[in-house]
Amino acid sequence: MTSNSDIEHMISRVALGDRSAFSDLYDATSAKLLGVALRVLKNRASAEDVLQETFMKVWRYADRYSSNGMSPMTWLITIARNTAIDRLRATKNDSDVADVMDTMPASGPTPEQSAVASSDARQIMGCMEQLEADKRDAVRGAYLDGLSYADLAARFDVPLNTMRTWLRRSLISLRECMAQ
Amino acid sequence: MTSDPETPEEDRALAAEYALRLLSKDEEAAFEARMLDDRHLEELVAETVNQFAPLADEIAEETPSRAVKAALLADLFGEAPAATSLWERVGLWRAASFAATAAAAVMAVMLITQSAPGPAPQLPAAERGALFVSEIAAGDDSLRVLAVYDADTGSVQVNRTAGSAAPDRALELWAIAGDNPPVSLGVLPVGQKGQLVLPENLRGDVSSLVLAISDEPLGGSPTGAPTGAVLAVGQVTDI
Repeated sequence: MTSNSDIEHMISRVALGDRSAFSDLYDATSAKLLGVALRVLKNRASAEDVLQETFMKVWRYADRYSSNGMSPMTWLITIARNTAIDRLRATKNDSDVADVMDTMPASGPTPEQSAVASSDARQIMGCMEQLEADKRDAVRGAYLDGLSYADLAARFDVPLNTMRTWLRRSLISLRECMAQ
Repeated sequence: MTSDPETPEEDRALAAEYALRLLSKDEEAAFEARMLDDRHLEELVAETVNQFAPLADEIAEETPSRAVKAALLADLFGEAPAATSLWERVGLWRAASFAATAAAAVMAVMLITQSAPGPAPQLPAAERGALFVSEIAAGDDSLRVLAVYDADTGSVQVNRTAGSAAPDRALELWAIAGDNPPVSLGVLPVGQKGQLVLPENLRGDVSSLVLAISDEPLGGSPTGAPTGAVLAVGQVTDI
């Protein structure tokens, strides 16, 4: 298992234009990043396109990593997630939205998912558990599936402003819980 | 910062919504415009990102197909920085092959020797399943061919992404190992994509090969060595 500091070191080498470090970084992280993109896009070909685009951004912007206050995996996952969401929103039409809703997972992580979760993840998942089930699903749908307010409002069949009020309250509850 | 009483609750909420990608395109653009002037907003976004990042732990890893890395490296590094020296190397063997008929005769003998049937070479275990990529490009990009070699099958997938053969001419692909004369992999298909086979005696040290494309008569070089202009070259990279 490649450690966070290994990945940090690879990114700093990539920032200097080290192609072999770039290749190592790809080998160490591409499977996770493809998982992230696939979760948003639900389509392997699109997700692989996004993976390629993600690493092109990593090559270009690696020198900006050190100043952004994120762990290296968080930074990489954020790029992959945002690139996937951009792709989703650039291409989707109404029927795609329906597909996304259909494949949205049920409330809460499966036992298997919980088993692999780190202690950090257990903290936020513990706090998520304190939310009502549908609020929790909405937050998970936003983070993991890249759903916007508009998508979530359609999914839960509530007005957009209602969804926004729900989510804002949920985010405040989460922040307070995490700060404890 | 979390406890900063000066941060308006509205900004904190917007930053979280922005980080989670809940906002519409217009709202995102408006927030980004504000963020340009306000580093504090950027910090609030990073806080939300860090807060939610552990949720990604539950996402299962998915191994990408090997073609993704090949295409990525070809896109980013297709024009090898060593292009000049590659051209020089190709120039050297061209000079050797055309300056003297004696040399050409020697080469013909060597090619015959090299292609003589022998015991089937054992693929080194380390290279079994390995993939190699080469972007074979002209100096001015008038011809670009992506070649991907799969050590499992010995096949070379070629994809011509720019340029084509001159009318009534063919493009022939060559592999050069060190200072040895080029060995033909065959004529490139007329279509954009196709498959050629890497001769078995070149499969031992694929990553040291140089690939080159020459302009030849239809059907390929009649002599077994390049007879026309060398149009494009590329180094092979282990992926």
